[in-house]
Amino acid sequence: MNILETKGLFHDYSGLEVLFDVNLQIEKGERHAIIGPNGAGKTTLFNTITGSCCPSRGKVFFKGKEITGYPPYKLTRLGMGRSFQLTSTFDRLVTFQNVRLAVLSKRGIRFNLFKKVDKMTDVNLETLEVIKRINLDQEALVPSSLLSYGKHRSLEISMALATNPDLILLDEPTAGMSRDETHTAVEMIKRLTEGKTVVVIEHDMDVVFSLADRITVLHYGKILATGTPDEIRNNQAVKDAYLGDSESGGITTRHT
Amino acid sequence: MDPTTAMYVSQGIHGLAYGMVLFLVASGVSLIIGMMHIFNMAHAGFFMLSAYFTYQAIAWTGNFWLALLLAPIATGICGMLMERFLLRPLRGAGVIGDLILTVGVGLCIDALVKIIWGTANKPLDIPPVLQGMVNIVGLDYPSYRLFIIGMALLVLLIMALLLYKTRIGKIVRAAVSDNDMVNALGINIPLLFTFVFGVGIWLAGVAGAAIAPILSVFPGLALQMGMDAFIVVAVAGFGSLKGAFLVSILFGLMNSYGVQFISQLAPLSMFIFMAIAMIFFPHGFFGESEEE
Amino acid sequence: MKKALKWILWIILGLGLLLIPKIFGIYYTNFFVAFAIMAVFSQSINIELGYTRILNFGHAMFFGMGGYGAAQALALIPGMPILGAVLCGFLGGGLLALILAPLVVRVSGMACAMLHVAFNALFFMLSMKLRPLTGGEDGISGFPIPPFNIPGILSIDMVNPLNFYYFALVILGLSMWIMWYLTKTPFGQIMIAIRDNPKRVNYLGFKVPESKALVYIVGGAFAGVSGSIYALFQNLFSSDATSGLNSFQPVLMTMVGGIGTFIGPIIGSAFFSVVEELARHFTDRVELVMGLTLIIVILFAPMGFMGLYRNLKARWGKTPSLPKI
Repeated sequence: MNILETKGLFHDYSGLEVLFDVNLQIEKGERHAIIGPNGAGKTTLFNTITGSCCPSRGKVFFKGKEITGYPPYKLTRLGMGRSFQLTSTFDRLVTFQNVRLAVLSKRGIRFNLFKKVDKMTDVNLETLEVIKRINLDQEALVPSSLLSYGKHRSLEISMALATNPDLILLDEPTAGMSRDETHTAVEMIKRLTEGKTVVVIEHDMDVVFSLADRITVLHYGKILATGTPDEIRNNQAVKDAYLGDSESGGITTRHT
Repeated sequence: MDPTTAMYVSQGIHGLAYGMVLFLVASGVSLIIGMMHIFNMAHAGFFMLSAYFTYQAIAWTGNFWLALLLAPIATGICGMLMERFLLRPLRGAGVIGDLILTVGVGLCIDALVKIIWGTANKPLDIPPVLQGMVNIVGLDYPSYRLFIIGMALLVLLIMALLLYKTRIGKIVRAAVSDNDMVNALGINIPLLFTFVFGVGIWLAGVAGAAIAPILSVFPGLALQMGMDAFIVVAVAGFGSLKGAFLVSILFGLMNSYGVQFISQLAPLSMFIFMAIAMIFFPHGFFGESEEE
Repeated sequence: MKKALKWILWIILGLGLLLIPKIFGIYYTNFFVAFAIMAVFSQSINIELGYTRILNFGHAMFFGMGGYGAAQALALIPGMPILGAVLCGFLGGGLLALILAPLVVRVSGMACAMLHVAFNALFFMLSMKLRPLTGGEDGISGFPIPPFNIPGILSIDMVNPLNFYYFALVILGLSMWIMWYLTKTPFGQIMIAIRDNPKRVNYLGFKVPESKALVYIVGGAFAGVSGSIYALFQNLFSSDATSGLNSFQPVLMTMVGGIGTFIGPIIGSAFFSVVEELARHFTDRVELVMGLTLIIVILFAPMGFMGLYRNLKARWGKTPSLPKI
């Protein structure tokens, strides 16, 4: 069964077509990577799926239900989580409080005006657990704006995960990380998303090939190919597309 | 000519003159918001300061024209000093910080004016050349009002030339639409800000000097003009000079004809108009919504 | 041990508040009531502005709704109990916020600020012109101040300033406590999160507009409470109290004390009350002193006194701690 499906998705920014008839099918339980050169419409695809903006045409289905144009908070409650390309946390809250908000959301505690949050023992325990799992327990009391870049990214990803979603969309989770940090992050993602469905946008082909079960290549807003990593590696159309503009971040494996 | 028409025309000229003065103040506010994202709560204070400078210059020199030239420049310099020594150190403190600071400056101007010149009205005479009426094609016009309209148009023309024909104007317009871009081009933004702030205050100064002989100079001047200029900027939208112009004229006319017909409710009608306008256009008629 | 110390401090504070009239006399007792009204008023703007970043620069409207609500309730309805009048103030402020909320949550940033200044200006004009309803510049005055009455048990005369002091202390203290508690609940965390990053809050599954609306209504309601106590305290409520200047005053106090911290508005109100009192005693240039104070504070402590305190604390190496589990 497909957990996420888009049917004939179009999007244009004032006349400029960014997405063109995108039909994406994500199977339950798979790790799916979306790759493509800069400006291929990857983030826009995420935005139209997760409700940041409405598609101009087409439909999005999640768990068999049409969700086109749903606002983000509704999708989160249905079980979709998302991380951002530009780290987006609560700057003046400490790591602990950042994660705790996600835990509160997961437990459906929203308009509780009668109990102190510091006295909600099980919430706080679970938060600590999450923080330990992402190795941020040393930084639990550091405001998130003061975290190192790698740690800040881990926090970003873990906040998407802490609401315990069934489907997780990660927008370039390792962007800007050092090689070591990337390695740790990939391991963490693998560990934390056990048994869940993951869709990830990624530029780093090492990450893509080590993480993904299937890959979709997006090129100028169109799906060029979908398949297993091997199929994609040997696909002529993909090779042509990337060779055509290899300077803009094509399939390159990082050399050290 | 029959007296009713004459009254209408005369009221129209009054409204137009006030609208022009309003525009001079509002355009400064608008320019500073567009460029620096600061809503200057002290703007009307400078307007009043210039009116007092005009009074003082006439008291010393006895020459209205010299006062009209010097008072706005002195006011503009005060504005530049405020930008350089108060606003600039505060850059990055956010909307609320700027508001607090400019409110503080406004309070200080109010207080200083009262200390130096007292609270009594300071009447000024319209220079003899411009007293009375001019007769154009059978209608009498109050000549000082016509002079104000002409002068405001001249200032407007100079500003337009400055904005659209000079290099610095191009930079200013670019900075209004995209601050970061101009920054990246290696232009001395802080200096530009000081300059633009000075020009904005100078515009308020011109308005203050021009209107001083009509309204007598008194400490409540800032509050009155501040409120009207605020309405104009809020209804027109931030950073829109075209909008500020149209709305200023509209309000000037509404004000003078309003006094004629619904004298009691004239001020109220403007506020109601503004409230309704802002319900449907929260970013003003000509303003663009800012990105979060 | 630490908990015991905390209790002792609370008890000392409580006793101090009880004894203020004995120690300082009635003039400074009234001075304290005025300060406490300002503190609650400032706090109600702080939970909007400092915690949630709703740029409300028209808070005097809600203060006015509270004041007029309480004053008119007492003037028009015979036998209105004093708590009923305060409740009218609470509901008045809350109701106006409820009406404005759908509009306010749609706009953000400077547009929201301007919208509030605009509405405040309209409100001020209305309260000057609608004389039958508001009494205009003279205001509503001379309404009866009913005794605090529990039928059959006790009846306390509220015209007596000493009794009124204790009454105001309880009401204002309670308001302050409720707002403090709000910031400690999970919802309080959501408020701060909205201030920092509303987009992410939405993606975490919380409704941003509804949350903002709730904060706005709570803020409006408690501004109403402070307005109603003000009306009772002065036995007068005039259009002056609804002017734009009265909207800025609590914002300034909050800024000076430390915006976004709970204690900030209280410190700011205390500071301003004292500065104003001193200025009144020694000069007749209160405006100038206030203006200069603002400029100096904002230049040297942009995050207010609490910001200074936090910097000092960070320098001494004190760190916050996790909640006890």
